[in-house]
Amino acid sequence: MNQFTFTAKQKTFLLSMMGVGLLSMVLTFFTDDALHTRFWSNYLHNATFFTGVAFTSLFVLTAFITAWSGWHVLVKRVWEAYALFLIPGLVLLSVLIIGLYGGFHHLYHWADAEVVAADPILKGKASFLNKGWYSIGTFVVVGAWIFFALKLRQLSIAEETMQDANFSVHKKIRVWSAVFLPIAGFSSAAIIWQWLMSIDSHWYSTMYAWYATASWFVSAMALTIITLAYLKSLGYLQIVSDHHLHDIGKFMFAFSIFWTYLWFSQYMLIWYANVGEETVYFQERLDNYPVLFYGNLILNFVAPFFILMRNDNKRKYGTLVFTAIIVLLGHWWDFFLMIKPGVYHTAQEVLAHSAAHADEAAHAAGHHASSFAAGFTLPGLLEIGTFIGFLGLFFFFVFSRLTKASLVSTGDPYYEESVHHRVWPF
Amino acid sequence: MRKYNKNVLYGLYDDDEQLLAAIHSAREAHLEIDNVYTPFPVHDLEEAMGLSESRLHMAGFVYGGIGALFGFLFMTWVFTRDWPIIFGGKPYWSVPAFIPITFELTVLFAAIGMVVSFYTVCGLWPGVENPTLDDRITDDKFCLAFDVTNADGGKVDALRSFLSDSGASEVNQKAI
Repeated sequence: MNQFTFTAKQKTFLLSMMGVGLLSMVLTFFTDDALHTRFWSNYLHNATFFTGVAFTSLFVLTAFITAWSGWHVLVKRVWEAYALFLIPGLVLLSVLIIGLYGGFHHLYHWADAEVVAADPILKGKASFLNKGWYSIGTFVVVGAWIFFALKLRQLSIAEETMQDANFSVHKKIRVWSAVFLPIAGFSSAAIIWQWLMSIDSHWYSTMYAWYATASWFVSAMALTIITLAYLKSLGYLQIVSDHHLHDIGKFMFAFSIFWTYLWFSQYMLIWYANVGEETVYFQERLDNYPVLFYGNLILNFVAPFFILMRNDNKRKYGTLVFTAIIVLLGHWWDFFLMIKPGVYHTAQEVLAHSAAHADEAAHAAGHHASSFAAGFTLPGLLEIGTFIGFLGLFFFFVFSRLTKASLVSTGDPYYEESVHHRVWPF
Repeated sequence: MRKYNKNVLYGLYDDDEQLLAAIHSAREAHLEIDNVYTPFPVHDLEEAMGLSESRLHMAGFVYGGIGALFGFLFMTWVFTRDWPIIFGGKPYWSVPAFIPITFELTVLFAAIGMVVSFYTVCGLWPGVENPTLDDRITDDKFCLAFDVTNADGGKVDALRSFLSDSGASEVNQKAI
């Protein structure tokens, strides 16, 4: 069975997941503060997280093609479908851009012209951190990613029927993939600075873009494992063996360690240099978000490191899917920690500022109110509901794309190699 | 010269496919294979011989754990008990600063420990000279060897005919 059918039952289930998400977002919107900070930060969190997963899937695919990899061919349709989620991703992000221009949200400190005018640091950064760059950057960068995703998808499907002795279609795929890689490297960094790092507008870190991309990468691998296990349980892709899964498990393991390496490098350099402008980022997180901060390391390093270290654990479906779920939630949690403290801080300042016009006393009160904040200090039920909604949307889109082509690309010149792919132990 | 005190009957094959087929039929006939020698790594050989998984990586994990503990506790002792110095205004017991060295010692202990274990298990040490059954097994011949030290004449003959029937171009016996 290589032709995926998207059953009515699956559609109902995924649509009800989206329903849960929508309900959570509506509830968040109406129980929120005056700026709807919780609603917008949840939206930003999930939109960037899933768009990033789509981007890294495209990156993985093109990197493998460029590296003359053969084993991934049986899995590539899943990644192609993931990469196409960039299209709804751009739609999701445009809502943020509309919100930015309409002044509906206060996620970004630098978007507030009044604040920037009074702040020499933000004034210095204004040539990059401004609404124009943010929206043009998003459209150009994600637009370019979409172009490559569509191009590779179209060529990959053309490869099924247009086979010739010169592998002319495959050669085109190879060229497009190689062209994408440097573009992906620079553009993802620039756009992560805009989307996420600029939330803490005064702060910057040169490790940040790599660090966030590593998070996306591990999440993409975790989602791939979950999707493959699900498809196999339905009887599809029987040709995908333990050996393929073992390799994806290795990628999840290796990039969990890579993520930790970047996390620690960023932390230790800032800790060691002890420059106030830089340490404020970690000070805030260690003082007010200790559960998130240490939980992040346990979920994303300790758990996958010790569970996936043994060779045969990367072949046991139960263990692998269990770890994939931990790591997926872990990186969602990591993004939560990247976004929420900065957003909360900005919102508190804006709220205190507007309150100050009415009452000077409220200003002082607003500044020192740093206790438990629902939806910020820890992810609450509404955050989990929103995540479920976005996950439903992601899978709904991915499954609808999977129906458009055979799950197995028999036209790929490396198809046979992939079928016979084996890694030790046999 | 190292002595195994073994009497070995071995067949030389011209092709790795022949060797693999011979190994399969030897295992089907419940003949106990002493060893297999090939000039290059042959795919599926471990599987065909039914070799069990190496436990070297478990030893590696233990060595790594010892290295991590040693590195971390040693630095803890040095910087809190033996010679406390303040570096850059940090506390004496500065865990983040210890992590890179702990990591390096983990890797060092695991790597050196595994190399030493591997060499010990294989009986390799400086100056060791291993008896070679036939020089051509380092060139173009694939060798399947049976231990016939305690075998009677009938058994040896049976093995000899098994080797030549399975396609060995040459069958020899040698004491090593």
